[in-house]
Amino acid sequence: MAEIEIRNLGIDYRKPNSDEVFAAVDDISLSIAAGEFVSIVGSSGCGKSTLLLSVAGLVKIARGTITIGGRPVSGPGPDRAVVFQDASLLPWRTVLGNVRFGLEMQRWTGGDLTERAMSMIKLVGLARFADYHPHQLSGGMRQRVNIARALAVDPQVLLMDEPFGALDAQTREIMGGELLRIWEGDKKTALFVTHDIDEAIFLSDKVVVMGRNPGHIKEVIAIDLPRPRTQEILDTPQFTEYRRRLRAHLAADMAGMHFMEEAA
Amino acid sequence: MITDVFMRRQALILGTMSFIIIGVLWQLVVDFGIVNPFFISTPSAVWQELLVQLQDGSLLVNTAATLYSFALALGLAVVVGIGLGVLAGWFRDAEAALEPFIWFKYSAPTVAFYPLFVAWLGYGTPTIVAIAFLFALTPIYANTLSGIKNVDRDLKRVATSFGARPHDIFFRIALPGAVPVIVAGLRLGVGRALTGVVVAELFGANAGLGYSIAYYAQMLQTSRMMVPIVTVILLGVILTQALSYIEKRTEAWRVVHDN
Repeated sequence: MAEIEIRNLGIDYRKPNSDEVFAAVDDISLSIAAGEFVSIVGSSGCGKSTLLLSVAGLVKIARGTITIGGRPVSGPGPDRAVVFQDASLLPWRTVLGNVRFGLEMQRWTGGDLTERAMSMIKLVGLARFADYHPHQLSGGMRQRVNIARALAVDPQVLLMDEPFGALDAQTREIMGGELLRIWEGDKKTALFVTHDIDEAIFLSDKVVVMGRNPGHIKEVIAIDLPRPRTQEILDTPQFTEYRRRLRAHLAADMAGMHFMEEAA
Repeated sequence: MITDVFMRRQALILGTMSFIIIGVLWQLVVDFGIVNPFFISTPSAVWQELLVQLQDGSLLVNTAATLYSFALALGLAVVVGIGLGVLAGWFRDAEAALEPFIWFKYSAPTVAFYPLFVAWLGYGTPTIVAIAFLFALTPIYANTLSGIKNVDRDLKRVATSFGARPHDIFFRIALPGAVPVIVAGLRLGVGRALTGVVVAELFGANAGLGYSIAYYAQMLQTSRMMVPIVTVILLGVILTQALSYIEKRTEAWRVVHDN
């Protein structure tokens, strides 16, 4: 049975300061199996983040349903954890305090909070920095804390909204590899939003391509590359072929956008 | 880092030098008969008077009286300002209900209420404290309000995604997040409380630095008057610097975003 089942999902947006309502995403159906790593790609404004946040229970569903392990989503829940693009760490707490934060909010009862947080901090390779404050860390390190905070609550489903979007290319690549290493450990069901095609292919079992106006799914491409993966895979012919297909999709979307802008 | 220290030291040296030069100029323009000492006295005469007022204990008594009123007024302003600010920052209805008074306070000069306070509380400490309290209240209230109200949306969203309840968001996100803004309000409030005390003392008191300034002014004793003026300036500098120091330390609590 599918872990995440999205059926005919529609989400409406109200334009700021007006009553005008338009669909951010419409008629989206998607099944994600337990332990699958799925990326969502698409040009900006295609509603990929909105889709992710709706699975997180952070935006109101207008039409359709989302179920996780059979239970309908009606708000945030301990079965899911979100890694946002902005690390969003509490500046007055240390790394340890920040990783504890999610556990505290969820009233974690699975043992000692500090012990649990420390093991996650070790997992993301920040053991030496447990007592540091966020402003003493680099962007990549802050994102590691962000990921550790989400993993700490041991969610069934890990939701990531462009978590490496603010990092430089090199750090981004390293973080992608690190994320895979961690994910291989217990293969949580993962939904990952990005606009980086290579990142999406490298990480995923499936890549969902979204289009705009309103946000909809154009295609779901299964990535049939062996795991565990390393950066060398980026130069294989299969990878190049996936990259070509995804590029073509997104280029078509961009051309459409360009045309519309000129028409307007 | 090293250049940083050097720059800071250089700034200190330059500041001290310009301070000394002004002092020397002040002395010279009087010594050479360019300005009548009645208007500005001289550093040496002020120094003499300072020693006198220190010895007869009057400076200490006046400073203590001013600080006493200041502490009471600031304490009240902190309790009321932060209390109301938190309330108005968290509950929209409370903000709307308090808004007219804040507009009123912003637009009308507080000193205008002085005679009213005299009628209610008489001349002396209660009126002085009331005026200084009103002086200090506005920035403390306004900063607390904006600090609580502008709780960081991203942090709020993260907390919500982990199932935080409203009281979690208030105590774990909004309140600590507001600390740097509240401390900035306190720094402004400290300066204004001191101003309020001195202004109120000018009008009616039987002790205090403001009273002392008004007293010697009426006697046309410029050198003597300069002593409490300098003391007030010194107090202001020390208090504001102390708060600036605390403010810098809370600066690390400000939320930084990566994008």
